[in-house]
Amino acid sequence: MSNQALLERPAAVPAPTSRKGRGPQGIARLMPYAFVVLPAAYLLVFMFYPLGRQVYLSLTRTRLANPNRSEFIGFGNYERLFGNPEFYSVLRITLTYSIMAVVLGVAVGMIAALALNRPFRGRTLVRGVLLFGWAVPNVAAALVWLWIFNERSGILNTVVTGLGLERISWLTSTDMALPSILLVTVWQVAPFVMLVMLAALQSVPEEVKEAAVIDGADKLSVFRAVTLPHILPTLQLVSLLVMVWSIRRFDIIYLLTGGGPVGSTSTLIVKLRQVAFENHDLGMSSAYGVVGLMLALTVAAIHALFNIRRQRSSSR
Amino acid sequence: MPDIQLKDVTKRFGNSTIIPRFDASIKDGEFLVLLGPSGCGKSTLLRMIAGLTEITDGALAFDGQDVTDWSPSRRGVAFVFQSYALYPHMTVRENIAFPLLMDAFRTWHHIPLVSSIVRWKLMRRPDIASRTNQIAEQLELTPLMDRRPASLSGGQRQRVALARSLVRDPSLYLLDEPLSNLDAKLRTQMRSEISALHQRVRKTFIYVTHDQVEAMTMATNIIVMNDGEIQQIGTPDEIYARPANTFVARFVGAPPMNLLGVRRDGSRLALDGGAGWRHPGALPADERLILGLRPERLTLLPEGRPGIPAQVVLVERLGAEVILGCRAISADGKSSGDLLRQDLIFVRVAGNPHVAPGAKVSLGYDADAATWYSADTEQALPDPRPVSATAEA
Amino acid sequence: MTSKRLTSLLHVVLVLALVIFGGFPIYWMATTALSLNSELYNTGQVPWPQLGNLPAMLTDLTQLPLMRWLVNTGIIAVGTTTLSLVLGALAGYALSRFRFHGKGALGFLMFMTQVVPEALILVPLYAMFITLGLLNSLLGLVLANVGFSLPVAAFIIKGAIDAVPYEIEESAAVDGCPRISVLTMIVLPIIAPSLAAAAVISFFAGWNEYLFAATFLRDRELWPASVGLASFIGQYETPLSAVMGAALIFSLPAVVFFLLIQRKIVAGITAGAVKG
Repeated sequence: MSNQALLERPAAVPAPTSRKGRGPQGIARLMPYAFVVLPAAYLLVFMFYPLGRQVYLSLTRTRLANPNRSEFIGFGNYERLFGNPEFYSVLRITLTYSIMAVVLGVAVGMIAALALNRPFRGRTLVRGVLLFGWAVPNVAAALVWLWIFNERSGILNTVVTGLGLERISWLTSTDMALPSILLVTVWQVAPFVMLVMLAALQSVPEEVKEAAVIDGADKLSVFRAVTLPHILPTLQLVSLLVMVWSIRRFDIIYLLTGGGPVGSTSTLIVKLRQVAFENHDLGMSSAYGVVGLMLALTVAAIHALFNIRRQRSSSR
Repeated sequence: MPDIQLKDVTKRFGNSTIIPRFDASIKDGEFLVLLGPSGCGKSTLLRMIAGLTEITDGALAFDGQDVTDWSPSRRGVAFVFQSYALYPHMTVRENIAFPLLMDAFRTWHHIPLVSSIVRWKLMRRPDIASRTNQIAEQLELTPLMDRRPASLSGGQRQRVALARSLVRDPSLYLLDEPLSNLDAKLRTQMRSEISALHQRVRKTFIYVTHDQVEAMTMATNIIVMNDGEIQQIGTPDEIYARPANTFVARFVGAPPMNLLGVRRDGSRLALDGGAGWRHPGALPADERLILGLRPERLTLLPEGRPGIPAQVVLVERLGAEVILGCRAISADGKSSGDLLRQDLIFVRVAGNPHVAPGAKVSLGYDADAATWYSADTEQALPDPRPVSATAEA
Repeated sequence: MTSKRLTSLLHVVLVLALVIFGGFPIYWMATTALSLNSELYNTGQVPWPQLGNLPAMLTDLTQLPLMRWLVNTGIIAVGTTTLSLVLGALAGYALSRFRFHGKGALGFLMFMTQVVPEALILVPLYAMFITLGLLNSLLGLVLANVGFSLPVAAFIIKGAIDAVPYEIEESAAVDGCPRISVLTMIVLPIIAPSLAAAAVISFFAGWNEYLFAATFLRDRELWPASVGLASFIGQYETPLSAVMGAALIFSLPAVVFFLLIQRKIVAGITAGAVKG
């Protein structure tokens, strides 16, 4: 009976019109921008305006004493930079430091993750202790490591002389400064690698491992055939992060050696500060920084390419 | 008290049209069920009525008032989600009271931090507290008021969701497959609770489901949908007795209506490659037809009696009744390859007759049990019987 | 049998070596703090903590303006956290729930901030803060820090909101709740654990920050602990045990909170880095 009413054409309904940009739903369309405007504006003002300004500075001759009077000189700073053998030394130190930080940091972190991936008593406590290096603020870390490295009274040299060897100038010789800084870097970075890799290792499906064992695989081949492929993307991501962090790292190097001795630990970013505040040459300083940024971006881009390729091949 | 009118309501996502020009009107106080397979657009339609999904084209009106561009809250509807969508960080009491708080909020109360203080104060307002308690009592939630949703069972969560939708006394209830996450026993119970609720509040309910049992038991009206289009509108009885096309015939009823592709030869009918039989009444004019027969309208007769010659291949004993699956047999008594391609003919028999697979039978039926569909369009054909005979159908 | 015993012995040795490497600097910080300066510079350090020296160390500590440093550090950290969370919640919600023009660009810019070296924007920020009168102020430091911690907070919050069923928000909308309150009254309370992780990261980004503070603050009264402690580096006649004590006190909150929420932090940092 109500069938009739259902089929009746209602009279009072307004004629349908297209729904584009009218009425309250037109306003609703602006809603996303209401949420985004503040954070986006913030980043533009306090991050990307300064960044752009810095890139522009690298194209000018600007002195620290008078930063608002700059003379545009195009790529002059870069020409001087690429003609300067010191730049190549800084670049070499940056690459050595970053690559070694990745290799050593990821290796130690991975070993720690594997060691902690099997249950034993006090595992939580051990994990906590291993995380210290990651959690301690840079300045505090620098203070204690400076004391550990102290040439006259530091514990390292106490041990070294106790073994009947010559004192080592950990932070004050051109041979040892970079390795010493790498030691501290590994102490800071490896815990993070360990945490991330531990999470990845624990997400390896047990059934697959068990199936491999049932099929007669030994531990090493299970690791190579099951575990490694599973954690490889994470390992790659973590390597990228460590690499980028190492290129942009400033505090710990600056506090431990200030880039010395004789520039032997002077990475691009440390050099950037030195050229700005000791040579008062803002234009040249910016050029160093821009090279550093490009290096970091290149690493990120390589990672992105790998990611895209992997997604393509896995979606096939 | 809205009459709801949908006029040429269309939904497109990009280039794909989910609902092409949907036209219907829903009367006040109805329990309307939108019934269809998953992906038929019934949930999208419900969400468009609620204002949760934008209408691409067309208009929606409540009592002649165009609400197409209204926000969900302005439409004054209640929506019960399949997942219940309870607020996990709030107690049952806070969940139920939330719509009342929102009604009592002024615009400036929504300023962050202010909102927390206002909410805290409003929870202590006597009218809100008593309304909350009253609804909780109706749905037997009083002992659970200070629990959080995570500690409730599925049925309890369902009742909290209903309570939250009831508390504002809306004139339109929209329910999106609310029972599909419950186990079978609880579902039966909640079905009758929701029906009772509809009787009590006497408001319009629009209820989306893919379960034809829910539709048949609860609805005052059903819209059967497929691919975004209306297949049939009618009362449960109409839809069951006279499906408008083969889709509805297959979708409603379990086991579904038997649809036999037959060839007419005078007053005899025959399946492709099967033996013929005499139809007990008038026939439509087409030579090729689809004959629709509900399983319970077929009777099991001894071999040779008038009816469809068939062989039992499947016996399903359900206690109070037995479902038989039969395959038509050819004139020479063998089953041919053509027949194997036909669907089984299901017969529903009360009691527990002693039939074993392999038995040869004849499936008898009355003329008024048959519904006819065009072999080309699959739409229902007019009843061929004289007008007087259809009166009581 | 023996090979199994050998591997577990190796395992023990390995874990011990890692514990010594990871824990020794902190142990040494404490040991140095509890030594007498005369031991440190002349007679040689006693390699275990001498609790008896605690009162002496505390007396020495009062020679340092540690309280003032920590208050300044706290102000910077709280400011950085508040601003990062407010802006990060807005951005994270929008990135998770809306489709809008420039969404990809915003995500990319936020990812970029994690690649940009702090030192690279130091000079332009310095010039900008001179103009804005923010140079010698804690507010300026907060503004500089948030540029780096906001994106991390936003990525963590976005990831958490992604996991909240959208139907809950729709339900709130039907109940008459506007978007801003959907965020503050429904979504943010649900993702409280992730919000806490974002808060800890922002807080200690502000707590630990050194370069901006060392460059922008002229006034010793405004120094945070990082600058104050670093000012002893390269000086003769450092009151070493007191400085180590101060460094320990300065490190303690960071260590405790980072250990508490370690897993969440990892998820957040990697999520931000992957999704960009």
